Amino acid sequence: MIELRNVSRFYRRGADEVHALERVSLEIPAGRFVALMGPSGSGKSTLLNILAGLDRPSDGQVSVAGRKLADLSEDELAAFRAAHMGFVFQFFNLIPVFSARENVELPLLLTHLKKAERRARADTALRIVGLAERATHMPGELSGGEQQRVAIARAIVTDPEIVVGDEPTGDLDAKNAEEVLGLLRALKQDFGKTVVIVTHDPRAERYVDEVLLLDKGVFQGSRPGGQTGASPGHGPGGAATAAPGTAGARP
Amino acid sequence: MALPLRYPLRSLAHRRLRTGLTVAVVALVVIATTLFLALVSSLRRTLVSTGSPENLIVLRKGSDNDGSSQLPLDAYQALRFFDGIVRNAQGEPLASPELVVQPFFFRPDGGRENVLVRGVEPIALDVHDEVRIVEGRMLVPSQGEAVLGRGVAKRYAGTALGGEMKFGRRTWKVVGILESGGSSFESEVWVDARDLAADAKRPIPYSGMRVKVASGADRDALIRRIGADSRWSLEAKPETEYYAKQAESANTLYGLVVGLAVLAGIGAVFGATNTMYAAVQARVAEIGTLRALGFSRGSVLGAFLIESVAIATLGLVVGVLVAWPLGLAVSDALGGIGFGAATFSTNVITLRVGAFDVAVAAALAAAIGLAGGFAPAWRASHLRPVEALRKG
Amino acid sequence: MKFFPFVWRNLLRNKLRSLLTGGAIALAIALVCILRTMPAGFDHFLEQLATNTRISVHNTAGIVYSMPYAYLARVKSVPGVVDAVSWTWFGGAVDKDDGVTFPSFAVDADSIGVVFADLEIAPETLEHFRTHRDGALVGRQTLRQYGWKPGDVVTLSSLVWPLELSFRISGEIPADVDPRFWFQREYFEQALREQGVSFDQAGMIWARVDDPEQVPAVMRQVDAMFRNSEAETTSETEKSFFQNFFGNLEGFVTVIVIVTALVTLCIVFIAANTASMAVRERVRELAVLKAIGFHWKLLFVTLVAEAALLSTVAGGVGAGLSLGLTGMLRAASGWNQQLGPLSGFVVTNALFVQALFLSFFIGILSGVVPSFGASRRSVAATLREVF
Repeated sequence: MIELRNVSRFYRRGADEVHALERVSLEIPAGRFVALMGPSGSGKSTLLNILAGLDRPSDGQVSVAGRKLADLSEDELAAFRAAHMGFVFQFFNLIPVFSARENVELPLLLTHLKKAERRARADTALRIVGLAERATHMPGELSGGEQQRVAIARAIVTDPEIVVGDEPTGDLDAKNAEEVLGLLRALKQDFGKTVVIVTHDPRAERYVDEVLLLDKGVFQGSRPGGQTGASPGHGPGGAATAAPGTAGARP
Repeated sequence: MALPLRYPLRSLAHRRLRTGLTVAVVALVVIATTLFLALVSSLRRTLVSTGSPENLIVLRKGSDNDGSSQLPLDAYQALRFFDGIVRNAQGEPLASPELVVQPFFFRPDGGRENVLVRGVEPIALDVHDEVRIVEGRMLVPSQGEAVLGRGVAKRYAGTALGGEMKFGRRTWKVVGILESGGSSFESEVWVDARDLAADAKRPIPYSGMRVKVASGADRDALIRRIGADSRWSLEAKPETEYYAKQAESANTLYGLVVGLAVLAGIGAVFGATNTMYAAVQARVAEIGTLRALGFSRGSVLGAFLIESVAIATLGLVVGVLVAWPLGLAVSDALGGIGFGAATFSTNVITLRVGAFDVAVAAALAAAIGLAGGFAPAWRASHLRPVEALRKG
Repeated sequence: MKFFPFVWRNLLRNKLRSLLTGGAIALAIALVCILRTMPAGFDHFLEQLATNTRISVHNTAGIVYSMPYAYLARVKSVPGVVDAVSWTWFGGAVDKDDGVTFPSFAVDADSIGVVFADLEIAPETLEHFRTHRDGALVGRQTLRQYGWKPGDVVTLSSLVWPLELSFRISGEIPADVDPRFWFQREYFEQALREQGVSFDQAGMIWARVDDPEQVPAVMRQVDAMFRNSEAETTSETEKSFFQNFFGNLEGFVTVIVIVTALVTLCIVFIAANTASMAVRERVRELAVLKAIGFHWKLLFVTLVAEAALLSTVAGGVGAGLSLGLTGMLRAASGWNQQLGPLSGFVVTNALFVQALFLSFFIGILSGVVPSFGASRRSVAATLREVF
C-alpha cells in the first residue's frame, strides 16, 4: 500500500543543513497496523508526513495506493489526501467552532454528497467510536479522550484506506490511551484499514502488527509487535537499509 | 470545495472581544465619515434642489448673486412682456420682481446671523412653484407682513405665527410659514417688496427678477434677448444653473471630507489587518488541519476573507444605524446647522444621512474588509500544513 | 536588565503587529490633529482680538444696511476715540467665475494705520498706501494664494458694484491667517463718480479707543448719538463682532467636535485590541515569570509601559504627519468662504503637545485593563490553563 524508496529529507536551518531522513526504503502492506518508533529527533514525524503526502521528499520516491506522489501537484495532493487518508493528531486538532458531528462531517464537505447523506455517515463514524450521544457537543465540552475519538471518527468518515496518526496518545492519560489504541486496532481488524502511527508510547507495541525503527533519520529495521512488556527497541547497529519487498530484518 | 459559511462566521463569534473591538473600530470610522459627509451632502442637496428648471433668474450683468444686483423698474416693466414668458389665467406674465436684503436675525441664545429677506410681489408664489405656504397664509402687500421659511421659523427667536418680529429697522407681522421641499427658500423670509425697499432705503425697489418660461418656447432665445438688450446691462440664466453654481462652494469642503475619510479608512485597514493576523496566528494548527484534510488554499483564503468582510459589514451596519439618528438629533438640538451662503446670508440645513453618504460608507467598509483581510488571509492560505501542524 | 530597553524589545517581538497598531494610531492621531486645527484656529483668531481696544460700529439692522459717511467724523469726535476708519464692501473677484475668494474693502487711507496699529503693518507700506491712490494693503494669506508681491498690479472686478479697478500692491498685512484686501476709499468714490453714482455711505466704522476701561462707555456714547436717527447703530468690540459674524459656524464646529471624539474613541479601541492580543499570547511566560519571583506589580507596569510607549511613539509620528498634511492643505487652498477662520489649518505647538499627551494617556488606558487581569491571575490557575 505504501512504498518508500531511498527517501531522503533535508532542510536548511540557518547556516546548517539538517538531514532529517537518510535514504529510507520501506514498505507497508495493505491492512497492517504499524508503529514508527525511535528516540526524539529520529525523523519519525518527518517520515510520517512524507508518506501521508503532507510533505515532499528532497530525494527518492513515494508511492501510496499505487500512485507516485511526485506526479501530483499541490492541489491534486490535497485531493488525494482527502480521498485516501485519514489523520489523527496529538492535540486532536478539532475545529473549536464546530460540534462533534460537524467536525466529523468536515472531510465529507470535499465530496459531492448531499447533506443528509453526510450527516448519516458522520453519525455512523461517531457510533463506531462510541460517541453517538455526544454528536452535538462542542470540543470545549468534551474530555481529552472523547476529543481524540471524535478525531478518529473524522479520520474514518470518508472510509479511507489509510489512517495516519502523529502521537495519537501523546496527550491522553493511561485509560484513554488504551481506548484509543484499541480503536485504532479495531480499524485494522474490523475494517481492514492500513494504520500507521508515530509514537513513543510503549503501550502501543501491544496493539500493532509491526514496529518500524528509526534513529537519526536512518531506518534501523523492524520487529513484530503484539509483544507484551517489550520496550521500544534499538535496531541493529549501523545503517542497515532493507531491500524493497521485505518487511525488514528481524533483530 | 469551499468551507461552509458557518466556519468564518462562527469563528468570529468565538472570539467575541477581539471581533467586537474591531467591529467597533469600523463602526466608529463609518459614523465619523458618514456624519461629516452627510453634513456636506445636506448642504449641497439644499442648494442643488433649489430652483425650477422652467425658471430664469435675471440679474445685473456681472453680479453673481441676488443680493448684489439691481433691477431698474423700467427694465422690469419691459422684460415681463417678452415672448416666451408664461401668462397665468388672468393674462398676467409669470414674472416675479424681487428685492434681496440680509438683515440681522437673532438666535435664542443671542447669536446673530444674516438672513436672506426677499421682498416679493404676490405673483412670486406662482413663479416659485416649489414654494408652498404650509401654515397661515401668503402675505398681503403693504401691510408689513412676513412669511417665514421653515428653517428660519425653527432657528431664530420670536418666530411665532401671528406674532411680531423685529428685523431691519421695523417690526413685521408673521402671517405664514413656507416650505419648499428642503431647498434654500426655507432659509428665507418673504415680505412685501415695497415695504422692504422702504426699510432698507433702496432707491431701486428690485434687485432682480424670476420669470417662468412657457413650455415649448425658445428659452435660449429669451436669454439672448435679455442679455443683448442695450437699454440695461442685464443677464438671464436658468434658475437651476444659478443655484448649482452656488452648490460648488461645497465642493472644496467635499474634498476635505473625503481626504479625511481616506485617512480614517487607512487607519481602520491597519486595525482590521492587525486583528486578522492575530486570528490567523492563533489558529495555525486549525488551518494546518483543514489543509491536511484536503481543503484547498483557495477555500482557506476565502474563509478568512469572509471573516474580515463580515467584521467590516457588521461595523458598517452598526455605524449607519447610529449615524442616521445621531445626525438628526444633533441638527435638531442646534436648530439646524448654519452655513454661509453666497448671498451673504445663512443656509439652514438639516443633517440628513442620504443614500449617497451610505454608499460611500459602504465602499469604505468594503475596502477596509478586503484590504485589511487580504494579507492575513493570504498568509493563512499559504501556511504549509506540515509546519502549521507542528506549531499546534 | 534595564526597564526601557526591555519594554522596547517586547514591542519588537511582533514587528508586524507593532507596526500595524502604530500605523493605525498614527493615522488616527493625525486625523485628530487636523480636525482640531479648525476650532482651534477659530479660538486663536478670537483670542488675538480679545485684548485690543478696537470697536465696530454698524447699522443695527444689519451690515448690509449702510450708514451715512458723515457718521465717521462724529465717531472720531467722541472723547476716548483715538481715530476711526470706515470700511465699505467692494466684493472684488480676481476671476468672475470663481467669485469672491477673499474679502475686499474700500477704507480711509489716513486712519487705517492708526486704527489697526496692532497689525504692525510696515511704516513704508503704509506710506506707500497713503501716497498712491491705487495702492492696496493685502493680507499674507491672499498674497500667498495668488503669488502676489508688493509692486504687482492686480485687477479686481466687483460683483456688487459696476466697477473693475486696478490696484498696485503697497505691501502685506503681516498675519498668516489674514486674507483681507484694503484700498483707498477716495479711489473708490472717484470711480463711482465717473459712473454717475455719488456715494455718501459707509458699510462699517472701526474706531480705536485709547483706554480699555473706556470701551463700554465709548460704545454707549456712539450708539446714543445715533439713536432715533434713520440709521441707528450698534457698537461692539471687535472680538464680539467676529464672534457673531462667524457665529453660524457653531453647527459645523459641533460636528467636528463629535467626529474628533469618535476618532479618539477609535484609537482607544485599536490600542486596547492590540494590548489584549499581546497579553493573551504571553499568559504562559507571565506565569513563569511570576513563579520565578517577579512581583505582579512589576509585570503590570511593564505591560502598561509597552502599550504606552507604542501609543506615544505612534502619536508623535501622527502629529508629525499632520504637520505635513496641513502644510499641503494650506498650500492648496487660501481663505475658504465656507470655513472662514476654520480654514487656517495650523498645527500649533500646543496642539502637537496635546496630541502626544492624548496618545500617551490612551496607551496607558488601553494597556491597563487587559494587563491588570493578566498579571494578577494566580500562577497555578494560569499554568493549569496552559499545561
